[in-house]
Amino acid sequence: MDVAMGEARERLLGRAKREGLTTIGYDVLASPLGPLWVAIGPKGVTTIHYGDEPSQSELRRLVRVYGPGVVPDHRRSSALARELDEYFRGRRHTFDIDVDLSGLTPFQTRVLSATAKIPFGAVSTYGTVARRAGNAKASRAAGGALNHNPIPIVVPCHRVVGANGALVGYAGGLDAKRKLLAIEGADVARRR
Amino acid sequence: MQNDPLTFGQLLERHERELFAYALRLSGQRADAEDLYQDTFLAAFRAWPPPRRGNERAWLYKIATNRAIDRERRAKRIVANVDDLALAAPERDDVTLADLAGAIETLPAGQRAAFVLRKVQGLAYAEIAMALECSEEAARARVSEALRKVKAAVA
Repeated sequence: MDVAMGEARERLLGRAKREGLTTIGYDVLASPLGPLWVAIGPKGVTTIHYGDEPSQSELRRLVRVYGPGVVPDHRRSSALARELDEYFRGRRHTFDIDVDLSGLTPFQTRVLSATAKIPFGAVSTYGTVARRAGNAKASRAAGGALNHNPIPIVVPCHRVVGANGALVGYAGGLDAKRKLLAIEGADVARRR
Repeated sequence: MQNDPLTFGQLLERHERELFAYALRLSGQRADAEDLYQDTFLAAFRAWPPPRRGNERAWLYKIATNRAIDRERRAKRIVANVDDLALAAPERDDVTLADLAGAIETLPAGQRAAFVLRKVQGLAYAEIAMALECSEEAARARVSEALRKVKAAVA
């Protein structure tokens, strides 16, 4: 981007922020898994999306909860960028940054909260996560909720695998899931 | 056609470059262009949502044009800076940018906006009509009158 254009944008966004028109700041971060579109709202990280653009459905969720004031903001993403970088280098096992699951269904929220408790390096199954979310029979629905996890990596849905140890699926692709488990040194056969 | 923008960020990323270029071409001064660009998008954010079905581009041009005309009425002068214009318009044949800038500068604000929207930004007449809040015929007439004056001035 042209320097003058970039400076003009910074000033514009500063003015919009002072007027209370903006709510969420987003950025695109480079990672070993390719670009990540990330968004941070007033309560914490709302989105980590594989790719350099969010899906329309994810944007609709953000707009439903926080309104249209979703704007580019490099500064706001810096803490998340640092933690992700440390994680990818194997120097961080838990994330300190707050996550914001607003706008999800109660079941999705329970599934993701249960998933967030699976420790670094361990794996669990869809059935176990469903049980911990309060419905042991809902392993397929738990899989659906995890597939739509808006904050992968930080909410570690990659640590959930099939009952037979198969990786099954991942929104970022099975390669990404394999890489994340490799970073963590997870033994997929050793389930919790 | 792209989806309608859902967020300020989408609107900004899709249209800020051409609106910034338009502001530069309209005002000729970088500082004024920056102000116009900022005022345009702030006004758009305040007036959210944009019109549906891909009409947000003409909507932004309308906001920018109205603000530029208001500003000019207040200031009663616009001085084109040739260096800034050089970034905006390609030099053609034997007509120098200074000639062109001078000619564009002498146009009344409405005609200048029509001329720049058509000849520099490349908008369709339907979009110019929306941006200038006039009929397509009126938009054509303004562009053609502006073109006649510019040609006469640089002849």
